[in-house]
Amino acid sequence: MSSTRPLRPLLVTSLLLALVFPVAAQTPRSGGILTTSPLSATPSLSPHEESTIATVQQASPCFNNLVYFDPVKKVESVDTVVPELAEKWSWQDNYRNLVFFLRKDVKWHDGKPFTSQDVKYTFDMVRGAPDAKARLKVNPRKLWYEALEAIEAPDPYTVVFRLKHPQPSLLLMLASGYSPVYPAHVPLAELKNKCIGTGPFKLKDNKPGELVEYVRNPDYFVKGRPYLDGLKFVVIRDRSTQIAALQSGQLDVAGSGWNKTNAENARNGAPKLIIGEADSNVNDNVLVNFKKAPFNDVRVRRALNLALDRKAYLIGPRQGAATFGGALLPRPAGVWGLSAPEVAKLPGMGDPKKQKAEASRLLAEAGFTAANPLKMVVSTRALAIYVDTASWMVDQLQQIGVEATLEQIETGVWHPKMTRLEYQVALNLTGVGVDDPDAQLFENYHCGSQRNFSGYCSEEIDKLMAQQSQMLDKAKRLAAVNEIDRKLQADGARPILGWGKQYEVRWPHVKGWAVHENSIYNVSRRQDVWLDK
Amino acid sequence: MRTYVAKRLFVAGVTLLGMSLLLFVLMRLAPGNITDIIFESAGYVDEADRHRLEAELGIDKPLVVQYGRWLGDLLRGELGKSYRYDLPAWQVIKPRLPVTLELAVLAMGFSVVLGVPFGVISAVRRGRPLDYALRVVSLAGLSMPAFWLAMIIILTLVRSFGWIPSMTYVSPLDDLRANLLQFLLPALAVGYRSSALIMRITRSTMLEVLREDYIRTAWAKGQREALVVWRHALKNASLPVVTLIGIEFAFLIGGLVVTETVFNLPGVARYLVDAIQFRDYPIVQNLAMLIAVVVVVANLAVDLLYTWLDPRIKYGSA
Repeated sequence: MSSTRPLRPLLVTSLLLALVFPVAAQTPRSGGILTTSPLSATPSLSPHEESTIATVQQASPCFNNLVYFDPVKKVESVDTVVPELAEKWSWQDNYRNLVFFLRKDVKWHDGKPFTSQDVKYTFDMVRGAPDAKARLKVNPRKLWYEALEAIEAPDPYTVVFRLKHPQPSLLLMLASGYSPVYPAHVPLAELKNKCIGTGPFKLKDNKPGELVEYVRNPDYFVKGRPYLDGLKFVVIRDRSTQIAALQSGQLDVAGSGWNKTNAENARNGAPKLIIGEADSNVNDNVLVNFKKAPFNDVRVRRALNLALDRKAYLIGPRQGAATFGGALLPRPAGVWGLSAPEVAKLPGMGDPKKQKAEASRLLAEAGFTAANPLKMVVSTRALAIYVDTASWMVDQLQQIGVEATLEQIETGVWHPKMTRLEYQVALNLTGVGVDDPDAQLFENYHCGSQRNFSGYCSEEIDKLMAQQSQMLDKAKRLAAVNEIDRKLQADGARPILGWGKQYEVRWPHVKGWAVHENSIYNVSRRQDVWLDK
Repeated sequence: MRTYVAKRLFVAGVTLLGMSLLLFVLMRLAPGNITDIIFESAGYVDEADRHRLEAELGIDKPLVVQYGRWLGDLLRGELGKSYRYDLPAWQVIKPRLPVTLELAVLAMGFSVVLGVPFGVISAVRRGRPLDYALRVVSLAGLSMPAFWLAMIIILTLVRSFGWIPSMTYVSPLDDLRANLLQFLLPALAVGYRSSALIMRITRSTMLEVLREDYIRTAWAKGQREALVVWRHALKNASLPVVTLIGIEFAFLIGGLVVTETVFNLPGVARYLVDAIQFRDYPIVQNLAMLIAVVVVVANLAVDLLYTWLDPRIKYGSA
């Protein structure tokens, strides 16, 4: 006992030092300009009119939402929603009214005050209200706000979202990077190239297709933020050049859209680089055209689904960087997906030989044999990330005797062809704005949805979707969502091959660069990022 | 001479008119249009919204009307609006022109400075080790695609020095040194190929000229080698070389896509490819017309240069 006594002061001092110094080393510093390269050039700086992560990445630093997902929490859920322009919110009338109490100290970048009229203006426009003061030429997320009956602004700092029926998911959709608040006093057309927001950064320069540059907003309502003096998005189209730019230190962070090999190549040339791997809510899915025979035959769809060996997919096109799941991102990265034991039972997950034999049997049952093989064209977008997986798919289908050929569709006509169902079978990538059943299911599986590219339509599923949307008990809702997912997989509605992983590669001096496990879309404000140099 | 120039200008006008028609038709033959692309970035297509947008952009009108409008605007100096960025086309094109022009001029400068002397030396030292060495250099230049060379340069720089030229454009007016550092390597990558071409043409025409009687006479009179080679022979051998330089320069204005991409230079060529992908008709049509004008003017300039290089050539008198 006594022998330890002389060590006590030393231990105490060490403990204090250990406690104090790491904290001191991690104390954020203000200043510096961070340079990064986005996935691609953004078509505009107006998130409400676009559906690409490139826009969210490059426009989010300029804007704020009513609420946002806490950047620090890795998995987004209703529990990680934090206030932004709203100081607080309250569900009222059994989830029929969502009331936001707004901050009073917020100014737009042009100095005008932010009020509830801006919120009403924005969301009336997005939901396509008949009396909306502006109309979006392209409105990809109108569906998110279908349950809204009215938006009221009883005073400058209160907004009420009145719903036709309870919809707990509304709060999550309002927290998405796709749901910023726009200034009512700036013409909508101007916002395409000239961002006026309330966010932590003010637009300094926008060279369409080349560069988006921000400077610190000194009037930002969150005191002490942002830490950075500026933020630069340099569009570098060539992947090898992107890697070289990161290695040479011209970029502080990169990796948007990179695969594991790109990330590792970058680090091989600059070992100090840090690779961050995370799940993402972007899946590889197979579109089977329900309006074209023989794909309206469930046996054919099941056969195709079984033939695609998911483990081979993971090793091959995805190079080990994916997780398996159903229509919703699997747990634990996702909130609503099927559990691991259930995922293991999904078509394509079992013994490849047995599944391929079963697939051949189903095809024979549907009338397709070696003498009369099923002939099909597998269409995909002419981008490497699509083509790699689609080529693998063709090979897998050929293994069960299907005469499959690959068709690469130029990116400009990809969505028009999918919307018009001008294909037989296609390999698609789908990113979901929010890891939420309403955002994912209605968009991709609801009868008549513009993004239901397979033409799948089931009255039963539609009914179940509507029911789960109104459920207030989270456990019951999860069970209902899982039930829908099981049915979708059994129907071969839109077979999911897997959920890809995302890679961010950065230099060690970049701190506070958050990544979320179940979304790439809702973490781009960057007000907490700082440079330790 | 004036008559000749007037005739050439008339032919140039007809050429450009034909070019405009060809461009217009080719763009419309490509599947999809800008409204498809705009909805493409939104990830869906709503037919009603699509028709509304087509009407707003004027692409719902008959093709003849669209063509007539474009030509009319062009003659008035109005380039229209970029469909993709919703900005005046000139505002989008203008900052990109000096980038491509600087790269093309520097690349051309490199190729002339390297190609002509190497071609002359190779011809004069025909069959000697220096000739073989230079021919290998030129063959390598012709064999290596500019994009490959550009990528090798980038990778070597980052591996060896941990440095690559700036990824954001630096204007020479802001920082001349940084601008030159940014442009010299891509200019070298592009210029090397052109220099190889120029060298080969220079060498072969020089070989022909060096066999001419007047050169033999010059040697016989005891004139200095430099005078014979550089003044008498090269001037007479330069006509095909000048033609090639003119063609190469015109080609460079539109042909720098890959180099601009690899070195991340925000030039016209790279942007033209983007605009084609996005069916941004006003940008594609106006940029392609601009390139056509450069080609026509470069050809005219080369033809006019002939009379200075070879006084025996007279235009309009025959």
